[in-house]
Amino acid sequence: MDFLINLTPHLVNGIALGLLFALIALGFMLIVGVMEVINLAHGSLFALGGYFAMMIIGVEPGWFGPLGDWYVGLPAGARYSFALVLGPIAVGLVGMLLELCLRGTYGKDPLFGLLLTFGAAMVIEELIRIGWGSGEQFLQTPPAISGAFIWNGLIWSTYRFFAAGFSVAAIILVWLFLERTPYGAIIKAGAHDSEMVRALGINLSQLRLYVFAFGVALAALAGIIMAPIWGLRPHVGVDAVIPAFLIIVLGGVGSFVGAVIAGVLVGLTVGITGAYASEWSLMSMYLLLIVVITFRARGLFGKKSMLEN
Amino acid sequence: MALFEAQHLHKRFGDRVVLEEINLSFEAGQLSGIMGPNGAGKTTCFNVLTGRYKPDRGKVLFDGQDITGMTPRAIARKGISRSFQIMNLFDDFSVIENVLIAVPQVRDRGFNMTRRVAADVAAMDKAAVVLEQVGLQDKAYENAGSLPYGDRRALEIGVALATEPRLLFLDEPTSGLGIDATARLSELILELKHAYTIVIIEHDMKFLFGLADNIAVIHWGQVITRGTPDELRANKWVQSSNLGKLA
Amino acid sequence: MNNNTGFGAWITRPMLITFAILVSLPFWIDSVGLYQYLGVEIVIWMVYALGFNLLLGYTGLPSFGHGAYFGIGAYAFGLSQLHITESIWLGLICAILFAALGGAIVAAFLSHRRGIYYALLTIAFGQVFWFLSIKWHTVTGGEDGLLNIPRPDLNIGFASFSLSSNEALYYFVLALFVVVVIGLWRLVHSPYGTVIKAIKQNEMRTGFIGYNVWLYKWSVFTLSTALAGLAGGMFAMAQESAYPDVMSLHASGFIVMMVLIGGGMVSFWGPVIGAAVYFLARDLLGSATETWLLWYGLMFMAMVMFKPEGIAGAWQGFIKRGDASTDGDKKPVTR
Repeated sequence: MDFLINLTPHLVNGIALGLLFALIALGFMLIVGVMEVINLAHGSLFALGGYFAMMIIGVEPGWFGPLGDWYVGLPAGARYSFALVLGPIAVGLVGMLLELCLRGTYGKDPLFGLLLTFGAAMVIEELIRIGWGSGEQFLQTPPAISGAFIWNGLIWSTYRFFAAGFSVAAIILVWLFLERTPYGAIIKAGAHDSEMVRALGINLSQLRLYVFAFGVALAALAGIIMAPIWGLRPHVGVDAVIPAFLIIVLGGVGSFVGAVIAGVLVGLTVGITGAYASEWSLMSMYLLLIVVITFRARGLFGKKSMLEN
Repeated sequence: MALFEAQHLHKRFGDRVVLEEINLSFEAGQLSGIMGPNGAGKTTCFNVLTGRYKPDRGKVLFDGQDITGMTPRAIARKGISRSFQIMNLFDDFSVIENVLIAVPQVRDRGFNMTRRVAADVAAMDKAAVVLEQVGLQDKAYENAGSLPYGDRRALEIGVALATEPRLLFLDEPTSGLGIDATARLSELILELKHAYTIVIIEHDMKFLFGLADNIAVIHWGQVITRGTPDELRANKWVQSSNLGKLA
Repeated sequence: MNNNTGFGAWITRPMLITFAILVSLPFWIDSVGLYQYLGVEIVIWMVYALGFNLLLGYTGLPSFGHGAYFGIGAYAFGLSQLHITESIWLGLICAILFAALGGAIVAAFLSHRRGIYYALLTIAFGQVFWFLSIKWHTVTGGEDGLLNIPRPDLNIGFASFSLSSNEALYYFVLALFVVVVIGLWRLVHSPYGTVIKAIKQNEMRTGFIGYNVWLYKWSVFTLSTALAGLAGGMFAMAQESAYPDVMSLHASGFIVMMVLIGGGMVSFWGPVIGAAVYFLARDLLGSATETWLLWYGLMFMAMVMFKPEGIAGAWQGFIKRGDASTDGDKKPVTR
């Protein structure tokens, strides 16, 4: 029993972390699925989301005239909510810019898209360094979701629960969007067959533009939620993009359910290893991947993909 | 005994049965055809026979030896070679390099890292002979990717020939060819017929009826009839279907 | 294709020009405002990049975790010097063998994969090695790495030379570079080289004409990691230390960038050009601005967008336009 109680916080943290990983991975997967682009800049855009949010929350009086002053007067919770909406939108716009650069690589070896986004990741990281410096920064969270509480004799971080709940809500919303709206149907059609999308009279280049923007906006959202837990550093994105990668491969490219399950699995693995051998906690996810991939070539839920050729 | 035999082959994709109880045999020295409408399972059948897919049930025998489920590589090394309907060349290589790499002597020295490929006179000669057979001797040093379509078809067959096969499978060799090019291909295959055991899968009936010693008709994943071109012309089913009119 | 037998096949004119430039480097590098040690670094990375390009440019297999094998080489060199005995040859042989051993094990997992799955698995394995290098303190020294690795004298049986000066070290690594270049040039024109080029173009057909594609992919990965190990060993010798940085995802990404910018996809010399450009950009841009990575990144993006064949590709295009009338069969193949 003691054993279980000791383990509980790690399980909870693991699941919370896993859900966030899943959220990062979903954006990544949408882009892979629809555009066949491995977006290595996903992590940098994740970080950029956190920095934008920090900027949006931290507006000082006098920056934007009376409107800005009114905004500064708002309670912290309202400004935080603003950041949760505006941050991803701003990153989505940056994503659109990147998508325009990517257009030349469509139809070529997927390696080129991957390399272009690797370059973009470098550029974004350097821009963050120029804009906000290399040091560690913190994103303020409103008092309502900060702090900790005691339950069953253990101390729990309120924010972790908020983060987990928020991720669940976001994942469900994304799922509803994909499964229950006509836009989702178009995106899924695009993922399977670009010919069909064209036959339906849908502008493929617009579809790609929006899907890319949507995918990186999800990364930014995850970045904002993750920032209070991980802190903000210019290269924090690497810590996000690698798990996203692993989750996609683990869950199977193109599988929504696979990504969520793999996300939680990775989170739990990291969480539990963290309990017993914290030094090795991040390593455990690579080992998990290698074990799974050795036995199931296309991950847990994967089907054969065009990306293999 | 036939050189190549397929017994009771079954193949499903998901819950769709694509091949059901396929029995085929190809005699040495003959040119056999497999025909049937699009979507009848011809290509799947071909892929099962040449090792690209494993059958769910049934056996494939080559020269009395069970080769069911062997990798394409192992099957190729036994002396079965195939061409592809969708062009499958080494586009950045020159024409002669495409053929050269398929020559068995080159293949046996594949792990040699110090010898120069181009200095291997015997292999080069062999490749030149194959190019002559398929009529590409004048284009030996052109880039395979930039050849005209008809030449690419010929090269496709050349690559298959270069492996010195005992049995040559050709997958829809006329696919995408015009009338002239088809006629030239016909001549080429008539030449090859003297030297090789050939199996052709085709939907161009006129082409196949002019070349084949015997033909199997596949429809709905089954062999519905087989015989010489003359027998098939007399066959009621063939006559009543579109296939007969074309022949 | 039927000329160039004998001497000509082993050594070519571009090779002699490259060697001549590199041999003369120590005599003029100071006067153009650079420094001797830079030459050492560049040549080591050229070896690394050439080995990497065997995989990326010739076989078409993208590895994003190659830093791991460079790092294994560096650690193996350092550990052998610190714990066994001081000897260059022992150190470099250890570097090659251990990197190749790591590569061989990883390649066994990788070699029936293709495309993106291949790339993803190389990342995962690369990260595992990187993690080990950081966490396995007792062996690797953790984040600080191995320090004070001796740089032993070069002993060639009848004579022994000190490599403590950067010039001496430079000529030693250059000699190894020459051996690697000649060997690789031969390899890519051998039957083996032809097969790996065939796999790059059409893996399925290569299997259908009877090649064991798995074995070729496995062996070329292992070979490429052995060269990364050699480069890593030389690097540890030059730096007199070995540290985890070279194994990070970023470092692994840089080698891909170098090879691509230089034009490894279309030319044997791409990696050589790319390594030189990278280090020159680092030092020249780096002395002009602190954010040189921003400019280098932008340059790289522009390259992928407008000239994915890299510098060597642009050069080939330029030459081709120049004598299109005289020579019709220049091909965009890696050769």
